[in-house]
Amino acid sequence: MIYLLVLLGKVIIFISKTLNIGSGSTWPGHIAVETYKDFIKRELTRNKHLKIVLIAGTNGKTTTGKLIRTILEENGNKVFQNEAGANLLNGIASSLIKNSNLVGNIKFDYAIFEVDENTLSLVLDNLKPRALVLLNLFRDQLDRYGEVNIVANKWKESLEKIDIKTSLILNADDPKIAFLGNNKNNSFYFSVKGESFIQEHASDSTYCPRCGEKLSYERVTFSHLGNWKCKKCGLKRKKPDIENYESYPLPGIYNKYNTHAAILTARVLKIGESKIKNYLKKFKPAFGRQETIEYNGKNIQIFLSKNPASFNQSLQTINELKAKNVLFVLNDRIPDGLDVSWIWDVDFENYFKNFRSVSVSGDRVYDMALRLQYANNESRITYHELKIYEDLKEAIGKETKKLKAKEILYILPTYSAMLDLRKILTGKKLL
Amino acid sequence: MIQDTKYKLTIGWLYPELMSTYGDRGNINVLTKRCEWRGIRVDILNLSVGFDIKLLKNINLLFMGGAEDIQQQIVAKDFTVQKIKALKKKVEDGTPGLYICGALQFLGKYYKDASGTKIKGLGIFDLHTEHPGAYTKRFIGNIVTRSDLASPIVGFENHGGRTCLGDNLKPFGMVIKGFGNNGGDKTEGAIYKNSIGTYLHGPILPKNPQIADFLISKALILKYGAGVKIKKLEDSLEKKAHDYILQKIASFE
Repeated sequence: MIYLLVLLGKVIIFISKTLNIGSGSTWPGHIAVETYKDFIKRELTRNKHLKIVLIAGTNGKTTTGKLIRTILEENGNKVFQNEAGANLLNGIASSLIKNSNLVGNIKFDYAIFEVDENTLSLVLDNLKPRALVLLNLFRDQLDRYGEVNIVANKWKESLEKIDIKTSLILNADDPKIAFLGNNKNNSFYFSVKGESFIQEHASDSTYCPRCGEKLSYERVTFSHLGNWKCKKCGLKRKKPDIENYESYPLPGIYNKYNTHAAILTARVLKIGESKIKNYLKKFKPAFGRQETIEYNGKNIQIFLSKNPASFNQSLQTINELKAKNVLFVLNDRIPDGLDVSWIWDVDFENYFKNFRSVSVSGDRVYDMALRLQYANNESRITYHELKIYEDLKEAIGKETKKLKAKEILYILPTYSAMLDLRKILTGKKLL
Repeated sequence: MIQDTKYKLTIGWLYPELMSTYGDRGNINVLTKRCEWRGIRVDILNLSVGFDIKLLKNINLLFMGGAEDIQQQIVAKDFTVQKIKALKKKVEDGTPGLYICGALQFLGKYYKDASGTKIKGLGIFDLHTEHPGAYTKRFIGNIVTRSDLASPIVGFENHGGRTCLGDNLKPFGMVIKGFGNNGGDKTEGAIYKNSIGTYLHGPILPKNPQIADFLISKALILKYGAGVKIKKLEDSLEKKAHDYILQKIASFE
């Protein structure tokens, strides 16, 4: 049975690649799991040597995955990952098919799987990871994912029955994530030393995950992350296993969290400290996550910004990098969420005055323009002062042309906008 | 026409930390900026859990956003008999207000949640809301309605609860495209005196600035007398963003 499904899956991948109808990142797995619901379990029983790292959370999955992969590969391990966006059960099954030989044997040491928030419980029913990394839970596409609390409750249920051999790598600063830990010595906590005391508007879990009381924060790094405690029931942040590191491969507080999560995972996988440090130097950003692309002889840097927390972090980071020229690209397609209300939860007000040139594009260009019109503290930006481009290609062309030689155009796109953007930028290179 | 600082409005924001999801905060931004652009000073007063009802006295405009179930339960506990009485008086006196989604449900007699638990409402609006259960369809998507205040109104709805209006309560709008209160009778939200309850996120005010101006204007009249008129603003971006939703919906027909 299993041979047949692997074979069938491989045939589908081959056909879809040949006919150029996609890379087969979900269909083969979909068919395998539909035909034989224990496909993943059986395939993994046959490949007991394969260690799995699962990563879930609203923001930072891709970067953290790439950090862990870099460390493992530099360490000489063979690693594969599920493809971008294929983070449901069918994506994981497809990835297993793709990376096994014709008889279902997998010649890799590690698999790193990004998992969708709503799918984590189902995935944990099908496989036992060596490490489970839970990064954070932020407000994101409420029309698709529903309420943050519902997701957290589902996770809590699954983690109560998790195997003791699975190491949990948890964000100590995110109350709902930290609360998922247990006392069985398999929970490890990461944090980030921070100094801010102001909470951003888009904060979600400022209530005690145990008793519902409002939490007190000694300090906040961003959004609802920080050193928290409940004055009513006494629940408080666990002592972190890592909260600081000597150097980081990427700027931004959010990337400190991602880096700490990756380091803690590497430690659990028994990789030595000095090795981790050296391997991290080899890291290159994942696409769209602070990736720099040259276009028309000018530099563009892309900061994927897909929900209030990630958008605020992008704004803060480019502000620290002294960004002057900024382009926001807002789409409302399925991967972005059909509802763009969330842009009103982003704190543009804090950064606006530092930018010299602000332009907007994307399917919902006028919604973004409108948001910025109401974000300007000094005076009302008029229709003409803000550069509005219905056409993304025109936006990139004109905005890069005006840059001085060493200047960077910082582009903050939503997910599908980022894909469009890369197509324009890298497509041009090929021609 | 007013263009000086002799006018000042205090906006009371009910439970900003708890009742604010789907960008509801944008409504506060819009009310504030549209006052400031006209030279009207604005104070935002946060009315959080445990707030003193004496604060309500000086408030000229009320706003309350939507929330997740757990947060609604925390807020429900904060509505004491006295607090309900004080809020009811504000509404009856004609204080303009905007109540989004969960807040609209709160204004009614009761809300029966997905598990069947009945949460008592404030009983200020003659309406009630029932959630038919976790496995029934949520009403999600772009919505267009018409009303006397602004037409067409555009927004985004996302709710599981079905609201039914009592005989004497007027809907805020009638659905042209979308679901509205219950997906059946075409009504959307409710309007009573100067209080507007609606399911429209988006948020509602940026793309429908006439509603913001209605609230501001009513607040000024109530405070300073019937002669006060507000200056018109140039709303070309508002209109462009508004019309995009209409086009998008038309292209799916």
